[in-house]
Amino acid sequence: MNFSEFQNRSRLYVIGALEPEELEEFEKARKKFGKKAEDFITKCYALHEAFALSLRPAKASGAIKDRLMAMVRGKKEA
Amino acid sequence: MRPTKLIASTRRKPKKRVRLAKSRARPLTVAPQLEPGAPSDLDLMRGIQAEDPDALSQLYDRYNGILKALILRVIHNEAEADDLLQEIFMEIWNQAKNFSAQKGKPLGWMVTLARRRAIDGLRKKQAYARAEERLKNETEQQPDAWVHNTTEEEILLSDTRALIRKVIKSLPPAQQQAIDLAFFKGMSQREIAAKTNTPLGTVKTRLELGLKKIYDGLKELRDEL
Repeated sequence: MNFSEFQNRSRLYVIGALEPEELEEFEKARKKFGKKAEDFITKCYALHEAFALSLRPAKASGAIKDRLMAMVRGKKEA
Repeated sequence: MRPTKLIASTRRKPKKRVRLAKSRARPLTVAPQLEPGAPSDLDLMRGIQAEDPDALSQLYDRYNGILKALILRVIHNEAEADDLLQEIFMEIWNQAKNFSAQKGKPLGWMVTLARRRAIDGLRKKQAYARAEERLKNETEQQPDAWVHNTTEEEILLSDTRALIRKVIKSLPPAQQQAIDLAFFKGMSQREIAAKTNTPLGTVKTRLELGLKKIYDGLKELRDEL
């Protein structure tokens, strides 16, 4: 696998769309390309951020935050 | 729905041009703009790592809408989405120590975590069949799934969202659909092939081309803006 193919696979990898047989080959290439590969995979995670930001924000129930903060403070005090 | 969409599409070009021109005047990244003096996401993550509940509270205020939208897109159930949102922010609190700024931005980390939890939740609650049915109905009503529930005016509320959507909407519908099913439904290539009655190789090509175009588009936006 050359680096250009690795880049294509990386974008599939970060969204969890690699098939098991592709994953094995991908991991081998990942080792082969080392830091360059890790840096590129990190960049690909920007896709996650972009997909989430492409959605219109939804309103959460006001009670959720109250419950969350009560749990967090309770846990911290425990 | 359809008339609104048609009206929106006739207005789209001039309005977007105005907004894009405005956006060029100030730095823009994929992440939303913050108020001057507001702590950065990284500052808040560091606060959470130091067990400061106020930092979590601020991060919640900043991103609960985006994460809730993501969860809703996966599980299509308001009450379950709220419950999951709470669990996800609790996990952010509990797992904050595992966050590393070298490996990416806080929002990316949170979205990855939320997406994983939402897809797990979808499968665990065996709501898959019901959600698939709803998805099928939605897809039949509106093949361009990213346009779902959104008017042009709403898009213009956010420069970031409008720009990202512009990139996504530039893809052929088949590529959008493949990415939508992979990212928001957690489907494998084989599952997408079966669902869309498309050869596996075609699904792979659609995903690869679509993701590359989005990735390159985002890069161009960052470089340009």
